[in-house]
Amino acid sequence: MFRLIITRVFLGFATLFAVTLLIFAATEILPGDVASAVLGQGATPDTLAAFRIELGLDRPAYVRYLEWLTNALQGDLGVAMTNKREVLDTITPRLYNTLFLAGYAAAIAVPIAIILGITAAINEGKWIDRAANIVTLGAISVPEFFIAYILILVFATNLGWFPSLSTVYSDMGFWQKIHVVALPALTLTMLVMAHMLRMTRASVLAIMSQPYIEMAFLKGLPRKRVILHHALPNAAAPIISVVALNLAYLIVGVVVIEVVFVYPGVGQYMVDGVSKRDLPVIQACALVFGSAFVLLNTIADILAILLNPRLRHPR
Amino acid sequence: MEDFSKKLKDAELLATRSGGSRRDFMQLAIMTGLSVSAASAMFSKAEAAETPKKGGTFRIGMEGGSATDSLDPRTYADSVMIAASLAVYDSMIEFDNAGNPTGALLESWEARPGAVEWIFNVRQGIKFSNGKTLDADDVLYSIGIHRGEDTKSPAKGILEQIIDIKAVTPSQISITLSSGNADFPVILGDYHLIVVPNGFTDWENPVGTGAYNLASFEPGVRLVFENRGDYWIEGRANFDRVELLNIQDVAARTAALQSGQVDAVNRLDARTVDLMTGNNALSIVRTKGTGNRFCFVSRVTSPGFENKDLRLALKWGIDREKIINSVYSGYAVPGNDHTLDAFNPYYNTNMPQRAYDPDKAAYHFKKSGLSGEITLSTSEGAWGSAVDCAQLYQESMSKAGITLNVKKESADGYWDNVWLKEPFCAVYWGRRLSADQTFTQVYGSGSDWNDSDWRVPAFDRLVEEARVELDEVKRKEQYFECQEMIAEDGGMVCFAITDYLDGYSSKVKGVQPHARYDLDDNRIASKAWFA
Amino acid sequence: MAIQNSFKNPPLSAKIGMVTLSVFIFFAIFAPVIAPYGEAESIGKTWASPSSEFLLGTDNIGRDMLSRIMFGARMTLGVATACTLLSFLIGITMGLLAAVAGKILDQILSRFVDLMLSIPILVFALMILSMFGSSLFTLIITIGVLDSFRVFRLARSVAVNIVVTEFVEVARLRGEGLWWIMTREVLPNALPPMIAEFGLRFCFNFLFVAGLSFLGLGIQPPFADWGGMVRENGRAIAFGIPAPLWPAIAIGLTTISVNMIVDWILSLNARPSGASAEM
Repeated sequence: MFRLIITRVFLGFATLFAVTLLIFAATEILPGDVASAVLGQGATPDTLAAFRIELGLDRPAYVRYLEWLTNALQGDLGVAMTNKREVLDTITPRLYNTLFLAGYAAAIAVPIAIILGITAAINEGKWIDRAANIVTLGAISVPEFFIAYILILVFATNLGWFPSLSTVYSDMGFWQKIHVVALPALTLTMLVMAHMLRMTRASVLAIMSQPYIEMAFLKGLPRKRVILHHALPNAAAPIISVVALNLAYLIVGVVVIEVVFVYPGVGQYMVDGVSKRDLPVIQACALVFGSAFVLLNTIADILAILLNPRLRHPR
Repeated sequence: MEDFSKKLKDAELLATRSGGSRRDFMQLAIMTGLSVSAASAMFSKAEAAETPKKGGTFRIGMEGGSATDSLDPRTYADSVMIAASLAVYDSMIEFDNAGNPTGALLESWEARPGAVEWIFNVRQGIKFSNGKTLDADDVLYSIGIHRGEDTKSPAKGILEQIIDIKAVTPSQISITLSSGNADFPVILGDYHLIVVPNGFTDWENPVGTGAYNLASFEPGVRLVFENRGDYWIEGRANFDRVELLNIQDVAARTAALQSGQVDAVNRLDARTVDLMTGNNALSIVRTKGTGNRFCFVSRVTSPGFENKDLRLALKWGIDREKIINSVYSGYAVPGNDHTLDAFNPYYNTNMPQRAYDPDKAAYHFKKSGLSGEITLSTSEGAWGSAVDCAQLYQESMSKAGITLNVKKESADGYWDNVWLKEPFCAVYWGRRLSADQTFTQVYGSGSDWNDSDWRVPAFDRLVEEARVELDEVKRKEQYFECQEMIAEDGGMVCFAITDYLDGYSSKVKGVQPHARYDLDDNRIASKAWFA
Repeated sequence: MAIQNSFKNPPLSAKIGMVTLSVFIFFAIFAPVIAPYGEAESIGKTWASPSSEFLLGTDNIGRDMLSRIMFGARMTLGVATACTLLSFLIGITMGLLAAVAGKILDQILSRFVDLMLSIPILVFALMILSMFGSSLFTLIITIGVLDSFRVFRLARSVAVNIVVTEFVEVARLRGEGLWWIMTREVLPNALPPMIAEFGLRFCFNFLFVAGLSFLGLGIQPPFADWGGMVRENGRAIAFGIPAPLWPAIAIGLTTISVNMIVDWILSLNARPSGASAEM
């Protein structure tokens, strides 16, 4: 197990390195550069050339990549080309915000989804199964901004319980943040519930057909006990995978929610960076997103091994 | 026309209900046929009656910012940074509500005959936030950062006409132009041209003469300003603190206003603004027909589009009224295939407004001898509703028997990949404050942004003549002819000029429609006050 | 016995699902005949309320909502089916291969997928766009490939657990080939979670397609698709105008129907013998 973790950490860094290389190449390939993006309609050949020289964009691509990489390895993510601000200083509070929102939504969504999924499996075909499925499926039938608008209309504009602007500032207390961020967290909860709930339900039901479960039933054990003690551990692998994918989504995929609720997270930073072709910004965001995937996938794989005795002790 | 009179009634209602008719005065005045300058004169009288109150925290929710914003004026491109800049810095020239240049840090000026040599007087007794007193060198430096070989400033182009600039005395500068330009002060009012102390480079910690000091700046999130206490224009700088929040999404902006989390927002959605007129706690300020000019522009040098009849078919085949009603709920005026608007004193009032006429479109299309599909490139990246407009265009063209193929392009990189490259595409132009600027930048042969590629020497000559023409009657004739040439022969289908729609909480006072930008020329932070 | 009975008599929920889905497929096929107005015709006011003239009101540029939903069924169902099939074909094949074919290939495929998942979707889509231009085909490939990485993660994690079971080892000892083990031993046992996933991914793709539309990737105007219709009209809901609800309801009904059918298939699979079926 220890060796596995070491290997995965090493491969994780290799993946991140490959990500930066790929992102760099991609940004080079995309039409337009930071100079033309910033100057926009005000761009003339003269001003573009001047801007490119100022940013060092006239140098060959590999030189710029190596320079970035050398600095990044020393913990220096550089300054944004557009506004000359330290990328690290900008991304750190935004990353904290992103993790706060993701954690908030996950803390509500994951337990509810899994418990409801198991309950649905236990009560397959009964009203609670149907209701849980229809409600969560309904929630994923509309785009995220749509749920957000409805929640704003009801809870902010009409009832006034929560603010429609979820912008958080560093001087806010923890509980104040919990209140301010309630609506985006609730929106995200509704978005990720269905996937996890349905996978839990499907996996548990699939295990029910296995001979050892039938054996347990034949022994006369109650259905609840069979599911919790015998079926669930063996059904865990796909559930963990799906939970990991959804947690990753909560970190990297919430740009639209950030825009609607004016929440200063990494997603908006990346979108602005991409539209301005601001390479250091894109790279830093890609590193964050890449780390999230690598970390979550590694944890998911390790958990899956720990939960399955056959994988734990490979023959 | 029914819609029009209904809107007029609405506006009147709105005006009476919000107490002072001031807010919608401009709009009403235009509608009832008062000239703009007369209207603005009456404004200032009405304004004088009400004394601004001091105090409070003013929160503005704005679209037009990004996480990559910077306070360096050479990077400004959108509303948030323009508004932020005008809170901290001052411009050299300001504009009154009708759009005429007035003195700011350059308090007065005069031109030698021929409008080649200009003398500007620097306002005296103005202090920067670091205590330094404003002098001519500061102004020279502030212009200088936009000029020269290695500047990246977007304002470089408009300043290229300056061949010599120097301080005559510490309070006076002289500028010599390469050729006469009677509208030169308008150029110095460009939003990039703000005044900083001589030698200033630390844009993270701005030093200006503006009403407020910057307290904090998180790009793409929020700017906070605090009153500096000794602003030089009486009746301005009324708030203790101003917060400028970036709210990109229009529904979020509206909800924030409705739930009282902000006191003012820009760019309301025309399709839903009528729903808000029923809310007593809010007021809407509408600046009619000075907003963006929405166009579909063809490059007249591209195959097919070099045919004048095809271009005429494109112009007759668009149903302007339908687009304005469906997409902008009537909050726009039809464009007459050039980008000058009716607020400009040289707007050609003799030229009839081009209307939808499928028969004429079909006639010209047939006459052009062309057949097959015409492809129109459009994108949400051009402007939010460009695809909607294109779909309505597609339908109105089909009634004339012309097949328009609407191609939706990527919003990302639209200005790099599509505009100036595709033969027929969507584009919007902002208001230019002088007719000369409009004609030179949008249609001049020398302009890099001449997106119709319509380069006509006779037109250039006419614009040059008008630029130095001091006889108003003659100048007007020349500009009228310019507009006729563009509308008749050019490659641009300019179909709508939108209104600016701002939303305010009704406790906000002192806001007027402004001929240049929304939110009272993006100077709302220094101009408004709380009741 | 039990299986045959279930096939003949699907539960009520599955029947409702099948009927609803059939109605939408009927719309898709016969839209030009049954729709009251054309797909592109702008005939009313913007966001007009439902009336006898326009049963579901009109959209953001005054087109009949009902007609757009009928026509929209074509693109929506067609594109989502193509994308989802493609992503599962790639994802399951690679996922099972990674689980069955040994550590090295597993490591290579898994880390490659980590890498691809790490690239922000926006950057990925922009790259594809700049390389292949925008067309319906590009859209399907983009979404199919993007989704296949996620399908891979799931397929692999399910398959890894199956590969270590006795019956797979027995098969290996019998000397069965890789492909045989993948398709005959692992795939059938991995199916239930994959079917559940298919039901969801299929529905996610209605919205995914619309989400990429600002890049010009995909469905070109004036063709309708439900996700795009919700997107174009979505802002109205913030002001209490119900226009975007109709396409959203179409998506919701399809999502629920598809998943009810999926549930029925899963329940067949879950009880091949009598014991637990009696519970």
